Amino acid sequence: MDLAYYPGCSLHQSSQFYDHQTRLVFSTLGIDLKEINDWSCCGATSAGKFDDFLAVALPARNLGIAETSGYHEMVVPCSGCYSSLLMSQVRLKENPSLLSEINRDLTAKVDGSLKLLTILEVLLRATAEAGVKERVVHPLKGLKAACYYGCMTRFAYDVPVSDNVENPRGMETLVEFFGAETMDWSYKTACCGASAAINDPDTAFRLMAKIMKDALARKANCIVTTCPMCQLNLDAYQERFCNAHGIYERLPVYFITELAGLALGLPIESLNMKQHFVDVTGLINETRIADDTLTP
Amino acid sequence: MDVWTYDPADAKQFAIEVMERSNQNIFACYQCRRCASGCTVGEEIGFTPDRLIRMVITGNRKAALENALVWQCVSCYTCGTRCPNNIQGGRITETLKKMSREESITPRSPTIAYFHDSFVTGCTRWGRVNEIQFMGAYEIKSIAKNLVNLHFTDVWKEIREQSLLLKALFKQRRIHLKLQTAKGRNEVRAFYKKAMQKKTKSRNVFPQR
Ligand code: SF4
Ligand code: SF4
Repeated sequence: MDLAYYPGCSLHQSSQFYDHQTRLVFSTLGIDLKEINDWSCCGATSAGKFDDFLAVALPARNLGIAETSGYHEMVVPCSGCYSSLLMSQVRLKENPSLLSEINRDLTAKVDGSLKLLTILEVLLRATAEAGVKERVVHPLKGLKAACYYGCMTRFAYDVPVSDNVENPRGMETLVEFFGAETMDWSYKTACCGASAAINDPDTAFRLMAKIMKDALARKANCIVTTCPMCQLNLDAYQERFCNAHGIYERLPVYFITELAGLALGLPIESLNMKQHFVDVTGLINETRIADDTLTP
Repeated sequence: MDVWTYDPADAKQFAIEVMERSNQNIFACYQCRRCASGCTVGEEIGFTPDRLIRMVITGNRKAALENALVWQCVSCYTCGTRCPNNIQGGRITETLKKMSREESITPRSPTIAYFHDSFVTGCTRWGRVNEIQFMGAYEIKSIAKNLVNLHFTDVWKEIREQSLLLKALFKQRRIHLKLQTAKGRNEVRAFYKKAMQKKTKSRNVFPQR
């Protein structure tokens, strides 16, 4: 199965290992990812705060590229990119004159036929297929994961998203499929502050501390996420926001692709998990979930 | 305290402008405050979207454009998912940010404004965001402002905090120095140019107050 793929700037820079893992896990599941040709930045949330026109035009170029290359579906792992692309698509559908104005400047024109998918939707679909359950060779026993969606994928902008906006369950379904335990908690769709970690750190640290405290109170031993911004924030700043808010424990922050990869028996080295700030291997060793991958 | 003089015609025009640009039907708001209970930053800044919407509807232009939520809203869109009338408060703060810039009001939180400016100019220049380049541009702007205002402790704090992050990112090999570009960046630049032209035009249509 061929699927268009929009990595976005994060997955080509600070979260390159997420890009690597996504490709690896998808190919293991038999999905052929095709990175769209010469994509450009979607403008993230900044464009929306800077200019109305750019907020629609920047993502639109990528929609056009995917559509003219003949794809029907495109997966967008980064939650920020997903929500900007979706927002642009909806606005263009509502506003034909804006569509023709933007198309005038584009080589690859937008026609609105593309379906955008989150990484969870694709993984859920792939794991629902027959025979995949048997391929979970390393069930993640001993992991108790706080599934953290962040705020961007459930953001609906008047379009139906694939999961419940207040209490999404997709990631839990997936993590349980891979053999880990999950739990109910209150901060799964809370906001980590995103770029506020840089431009308004006190506010952002308070938000992250709340997320962390709830995860700990529910006895989670790790956090799982799909968003590179959430992962970077909760991971890179964990030491600092925990110190600032009197939290003594630390939790590894995994990408969903890391758990999926381990469960599917991919060797831990191949997943390229060394770029975390808070140690992630301790828990894996302790629970022995990846043990026999070392001796194939 | 600012004295607020109510001018019905002006109030209506302002509310309609916010409504059209944000694409949110603010007149449907009946002040139930469900948005307020969900607002991520409400507790920190002591101000919530319902009150902002009220200010817009009543035409309190100055208060609406110059309040903390406009800049400190983290665009989490929680208020919108909770609102029984489907009003996305996050879209309204985005619109008010742009309107306050157009009216040349100094942002309440300049660092946040610099951040988004640097991001957009960076990504429209190269077609893709280069984290190092845009962070650099942002730091220069934010530090320069503090220097001009003689806020030396802030400068020091900023440099120390950001270098902590940079060092950690380097250590984990999460910094990439190779310039990321898109070949079709001319298209992106054309969009940027157009947006800037539109901005100057709209400024002529709505003369500064
Ligand atoms: S939830 Fe909606 S209707 Fe209720 S106060 Fe907020 S914006 Fe108004
Ligand atoms: S989008 Fe802004 S106003 Fe709405 S809940 Fe989030 S922080 Fe509050």
